Amino acid sequence: MFQQLSAVWKFRYFWLSLVRMDLYTRYRRSFLGIGWSLLTPLAMTGIFCVVFSTLNGSNWKDYAQQTLAALAAWEFLRNTLVSGCKSFIQNEAYIRLSPLPFGIYPLRTVMGNSIHFFITLGVLVALVAFLGSVYIQPTIWLVAPAVLMMMLFGWGIATIAAFATTYFHDVSHLIEVSAQAFFFLTPIIYPPSLLINQSLGWLVEVNPVYVFIELIREPLVAGKIPRLDRYAYAAGLTAASLGLAMGTIAWLQKRVVFQL
Amino acid sequence: MARIELNHVNVTFSLRKTTRVTLKEYLLKGLFLTSVNPVVAIHALNDLSFTLVEGERLGVIGHNGAGKSTMLKMLAGVYAPNSGTRIVEGSICSLFDIAVGFEGEANGWDNITFRGYLQGETPRTLKAKRQEIADFSELGDFLNIPVRYYSAGMLVRLAFAIATATEPEVLLVDEVLSVGDMAFVAKAKERMRQMMRKSSLMVLVSHDLESVQEFCTRALWMEHGRVKLDGSPKDVVAAYQASVAAAA
Repeated sequence: MFQQLSAVWKFRYFWLSLVRMDLYTRYRRSFLGIGWSLLTPLAMTGIFCVVFSTLNGSNWKDYAQQTLAALAAWEFLRNTLVSGCKSFIQNEAYIRLSPLPFGIYPLRTVMGNSIHFFITLGVLVALVAFLGSVYIQPTIWLVAPAVLMMMLFGWGIATIAAFATTYFHDVSHLIEVSAQAFFFLTPIIYPPSLLINQSLGWLVEVNPVYVFIELIREPLVAGKIPRLDRYAYAAGLTAASLGLAMGTIAWLQKRVVFQL
Repeated sequence: MARIELNHVNVTFSLRKTTRVTLKEYLLKGLFLTSVNPVVAIHALNDLSFTLVEGERLGVIGHNGAGKSTMLKMLAGVYAPNSGTRIVEGSICSLFDIAVGFEGEANGWDNITFRGYLQGETPRTLKAKRQEIADFSELGDFLNIPVRYYSAGMLVRLAFAIATATEPEVLLVDEVLSVGDMAFVAKAKERMRQMMRKSSLMVLVSHDLESVQEFCTRALWMEHGRVKLDGSPKDVVAAYQASVAAAA
């Protein structure tokens, strides 16, 4: 495992420069440039606010922050998985050229998505500072470990998905469909109480996306210290995801090139 | 010390006749479906054993599909042997498929950066080489436009300039001498000569029998993934030419 990680570190200039290029080319021909990254979550939150404040008349300010926080984490994990699963196929030329550590290809996707996540997080912090009922609390620093765990978790699942997709191209479509279903299973656009009241609370508690949402939302939007068992669960998920990814790399790294 | 040691190396590709196996077929296989899409095993390298020590320059010749390029990719570490052991000591520079693996949307300068880092450069070592690479490619202002607008020849110029900017111990070459226009070919040949002199160990795959005799100290004739003949370039090339003449 450490061998793989140190190899990834050794080639850091390579994948970091690719991440920079991905960001640059994505908006190269657009008028707003990186502003689109800012506008997308803002527009999404705006739409949800209008819709839901008309539907149930609840406090739209709170709702805007809650939803944006949830959407930020959801979008990060979803996009990491959906685009990460194709990372070996898209980087085939490099794989055929040079025996680089396989972890760097999903990492390219994770880092790219992280940049968008951090932009959304910045919008959210501004929203909390101006509209929040509790404003910014010192608990905001607790967001950092949660985000780090979420990024590592995303790296792990993207790596596993990339191997699976290289062997079976169907997997990428399965992931897209499942993500659609998962979006509605996760309390993102509705409060978790909706599921808990239906005695489906366990479904909320085991949901890995929800854990990361809460670990970011609680300290930032509500100004509370999250429950300790949530941290434990998130750490467990991260360790499991990374461990499985490293295991998969060790298992298949010598053979995956024949599947490309 | 640069060294290559192969012991009974086998590389087998498992291909499917039509397309790749689907998830459905994989899961249902053995239940009630018989596979309509059987695996075809291609034994690309068959029980390959040889040792190269510092200072040796190996030329590999043989028909198309003899396993020459597969051997080079195996030496570079892209393909792992199915069985047998592969030991390659020393920093490797591979000159094969050099025109692939470019980021089309990025300009020439940026691609110099990516490829440099891919070859293990750091920002400090690359900084000194960037101008030298640009000069050698002679692309001038074209380096400021995205490489997807490049012609095939321009891309090869850039690729060759980047790939040969390193100072490797082990040099793996797959017929790159036929690149670009005539002026560039002459320049590229000169650069190759320099690199071959500098590198402590080289494997050259080529159909150009003259360059094998010119550059190499040892030659290997491959056929169907096996070594047919191993010896001095003069003897091996003569034997190969005799066999080709006999077949014709």
